Amino acid sequence: MILTIWLKEIREELFTWKSMLWLLIVSLLYSLTSYLLLTNKELSLLDQTELLWLFSKIVIGAAFLVVTINCSSLINNEFEKETAESLFLTPLHFSGFIAGKILASITLWFYIFLISIPYIIVITIGTNLIGPFLLFLGILGTIGITGIILFITGLSLIFRSTKNTLTTSLIFLFAFAVPAMFSTTLKINPLAQFFAKINPLDNIFGSLDNVLVDYQLSLAQNFKFIFPLILFCLIMLIFLIFTAKCTQKRGGLK
Amino acid sequence: MKKMIFPDIKNCLPGLVVISIFGLLFSPLWADSIQPSQLIMTILSENTLSGVAGDFVVVEAQIQNIGNEPVSGITTYLTLCDRENKLPVDLEDWSAEKGLFIGTIEPGQIFPLTWKIHFVKAGDYSLAIIAIIETESNPQVSSLTIFKVSPKINLNPGYVLPVALGMPVILVLFFLVIMYYRKQNK
Repeated sequence: MILTIWLKEIREELFTWKSMLWLLIVSLLYSLTSYLLLTNKELSLLDQTELLWLFSKIVIGAAFLVVTINCSSLINNEFEKETAESLFLTPLHFSGFIAGKILASITLWFYIFLISIPYIIVITIGTNLIGPFLLFLGILGTIGITGIILFITGLSLIFRSTKNTLTTSLIFLFAFAVPAMFSTTLKINPLAQFFAKINPLDNIFGSLDNVLVDYQLSLAQNFKFIFPLILFCLIMLIFLIFTAKCTQKRGGLK
Repeated sequence: MKKMIFPDIKNCLPGLVVISIFGLLFSPLWADSIQPSQLIMTILSENTLSGVAGDFVVVEAQIQNIGNEPVSGITTYLTLCDRENKLPVDLEDWSAEKGLFIGTIEPGQIFPLTWKIHFVKAGDYSLAIIAIIETESNPQVSSLTIFKVSPKINLNPGYVLPVALGMPVILVLFFLVIMYYRKQNK
């Protein structure tokens, strides 16, 4: 059943070229960024690791934005178009319905990650960082994006409105993204340090920095960044289970 | 009438003698007020200045008071000129340290001067150090040091264009294939 919902969503994404146009725009964004990073006289003076780190920010940023917008509407569309009722009349289990939607959202991240690979190869040629960088970008991105998808799905079940879910999700995304862009000198404050430890985007960028700049290439050396991300995912999973239970108790559609 | 305009030289002689004596007596004072400063600035790192765009290089120099009097209120700064384009270079991106203030230099004293500069753009440049002294109207300039910044050859700028253009094209082709199959299935 999970597979059915997942395939349905993927087919809908691939149904028309218009629904995948965002992927082309993301690709153009990568093209422009990588071209500027490597050829602009002043930008190309940056170290290659710094170029990669900048590019990884673009990849993660684009993925978080696309996934947030997409996930905000995936479940709510079913409620707003009143197709959820007919779905629930089938033998489909509620958890299967949610899991299928979550998988569909995670698939968008894989599209984005997949099209970033040629650009990353071009930027990393000449270094031995391509393997570790792709591995860490894949792992960190998947965990972080899964966490944010679980959170947005939970919000969708509370709000049942695309507009409200999208607005709230974007505000949260903004709250995560802005401090993550601050330099380390602005994070001396204990509150800022605490927020940096729990912020998924901060942990993703921190780990990539650890890999690229400090050459800490093993998972154990990056555990201090990966563990808070896993914890974030687990907390969001608990939040989603709680909201799903509430939704079921209320009869699903009220 | 002619005699009034060009008076007889004999009449002027005593006056000229007096002026000459005064001139001889006070010439050291005049010379002191118009002579160049007692400061000498030397760029020590002129042989190590050349590099590749993107490099950080330290400009090492020194300022010395070769006179007998202390000199105070000195501010030194770098000036850079692009020899190819015949233009002065704005040091905004090149150096965070714009000027160095030196209080007083005693006679015979030498002060080291260092600037960390970032080679931003390839080209031929000339560099000089300028010192402004509070009490003097003319700035003091060191001798020019000429250096070359080679262009940075990135590891792979040539590969980026095929990928930057190719990926969007591949995606467009992919969408066209999807549309074709959709039409075929209809």
